[in-house]
Amino acid sequence: MNNYLIVAGIIFCIGALGVLMRKNLIIVFMSLELMFNAANLGFVAVSDRLNLISGDIFVIFVMVVAAAEAAVALGIIVAFYREKGTIDIDKANELKN
Amino acid sequence: MHNIMPSIYGLNFLEQSILSIIPEVVIIIFAFMVLFLTFFEKLAKGKNSYYLSLIGIGFSILYVFMLSGRNLIGFYGSVVFNGYEVFLFIAILLSGFFAVLISKDYIENFDIPYPEYYSLILFGISAMMFLVSSNNLIMVFISLEFMSICAYILTGYIKGSTRSTEAALKYFILGAFASGFLLFGSVFIYAAVGHLNLYAIHTYLENISYGSPNGLSRLTGISEYLSAGLLLFLVGLAFKMSLFPFHAWTPDAYDGAPTPVTTFMATGIKVAAFAIFLRIYSLIYNFNIINFNDILWLLAVLSMTFGNIAALLSSNIKRLLAYSSIAQAGYILIGIIGGGLYGYSGTLFYLLSYIFMTAGAFVIVIIFENSDLISLDIKKYTGLGYKRPFIAAAMSFFLLSLAGIPVTSGFMGKFYVFSSAIKSGYNWLVFIALLNSAFAAYYYIKIIVKMYMPDNEDSVNSCVIAEGKNYGIINGSIGDGLLITILICLFFTLLMGIYPQIFINFANYSAASLWRI
Repeated sequence: MNNYLIVAGIIFCIGALGVLMRKNLIIVFMSLELMFNAANLGFVAVSDRLNLISGDIFVIFVMVVAAAEAAVALGIIVAFYREKGTIDIDKANELKN
Repeated sequence: MHNIMPSIYGLNFLEQSILSIIPEVVIIIFAFMVLFLTFFEKLAKGKNSYYLSLIGIGFSILYVFMLSGRNLIGFYGSVVFNGYEVFLFIAILLSGFFAVLISKDYIENFDIPYPEYYSLILFGISAMMFLVSSNNLIMVFISLEFMSICAYILTGYIKGSTRSTEAALKYFILGAFASGFLLFGSVFIYAAVGHLNLYAIHTYLENISYGSPNGLSRLTGISEYLSAGLLLFLVGLAFKMSLFPFHAWTPDAYDGAPTPVTTFMATGIKVAAFAIFLRIYSLIYNFNIINFNDILWLLAVLSMTFGNIAALLSSNIKRLLAYSSIAQAGYILIGIIGGGLYGYSGTLFYLLSYIFMTAGAFVIVIIFENSDLISLDIKKYTGLGYKRPFIAAAMSFFLLSLAGIPVTSGFMGKFYVFSSAIKSGYNWLVFIALLNSAFAAYYYIKIIVKMYMPDNEDSVNSCVIAEGKNYGIINGSIGDGLLITILICLFFTLLMGIYPQIFINFANYSAASLWRI
């Protein structure tokens, strides 16, 4: 279980760094999915080790929620692209003090 | 351990499960009814969706009152309904009620379909109610995401507005980032304890820490996983509560969103996030696996200080209120740190009073907002006291309440919260908080002074003189929904300030049922 959690932690960190450092919105969104899937890996590993089913159920729900979120996220990205003509995150700079 | 099928009321499992989610189900049914209006072109045009949503919220409040006093546990302990839920359901439904009331005049200015808008607000309300009543990490995650997704869509609802879309984008990225942290935290909690049910985790920790002098620190394996998990979980929730290091989305999302949605986010979402944090704190964080109160202490101090300084420097009224809501989140957190029944009921009281004063202040922002961005500048409020005395007086009252001046609900809220922290020995924290509220009073009173200053400068009050473009003032008079909201907010802000006893008794009863399992 520990090794699985280490792998999950590494994937999670890659995802988090991707969100913070990449400029392309699609890649940022992929990194967000990576964070969710790292958690999924952790849940499956733990529930296998502890012989429980609830972790697996959680994973199914997380996948459903991630799918719903993907729909909204891609919608927002498309709206952003229509207005700005780019999906560079640095172009989102209109709101400031 | 909770009893899965208690037979107090002679109800079987299914009956109890259904009863425990009736208020949410009512809201969801009405949300679908509003959504189905889009199929009929005639019905979708007028104000049908507006009235239908108000009726739905009214029915839900009715059901909450009918169910109050019961202690229901549904769906194998995933959903609970007791006094705690009654208080917070009413708070959330009120904030949703305000959001619907103030939307009517606002969204008529845009070329956007009404029924979807109202149904999204209703879905958002039901998600918040599910979040408050959830008692399982799965339910917490799903309802948090449900609530956030509704909020992302509503934030970017104005078609063709770059500001709105950008706000939605920033809110989405940071919100999903926070959800990732929350989810990864629950992996570690699950790995340490092996339960997802909050009461089950509570009971488990109680059993293993019982009798050992050092509490949980003896059980190293568990405490390492658990502290890592709880820290990550705290990061995820702190994003939703907009505490300082995790606040970055707040000003942008509040600024770019349509103002009724901003009101909804500032009141409903914040209350729901604090409610679930309070429940998890009282059940799990309380075991002090590591010293969480020190971390919360730091978060509270940083949020207050940062929020107040940033609010002082901003000239846009929506941004100012957003920063002030970060500072208010810091004050609310003090009640949770103070702890005990007194601190928790103070927190609940503060949350309720916060809804009224924030909603009131935002309604007045809506009244003077127009498609021109400059209308949000606080310079535009100069001389308002002479042109529209009633609104200026109401705005002054809400701002004084946010600053915590006596006779207002904000003062009583701060009083309860700070005195609970003093009781628990956090003198420095209260000292810093008092300094902060004195400092915050400066920028609140600055706006009031501006409103009662004669406008001899070049700041022509184009936003006060109605040009037919204003969002809130139609043909020189204020819309009904806005006026009703202002009156309700004024009444309760005053009542909670001069006669807090009924509300604090209600909050006490509600906080006491946090432990009634």
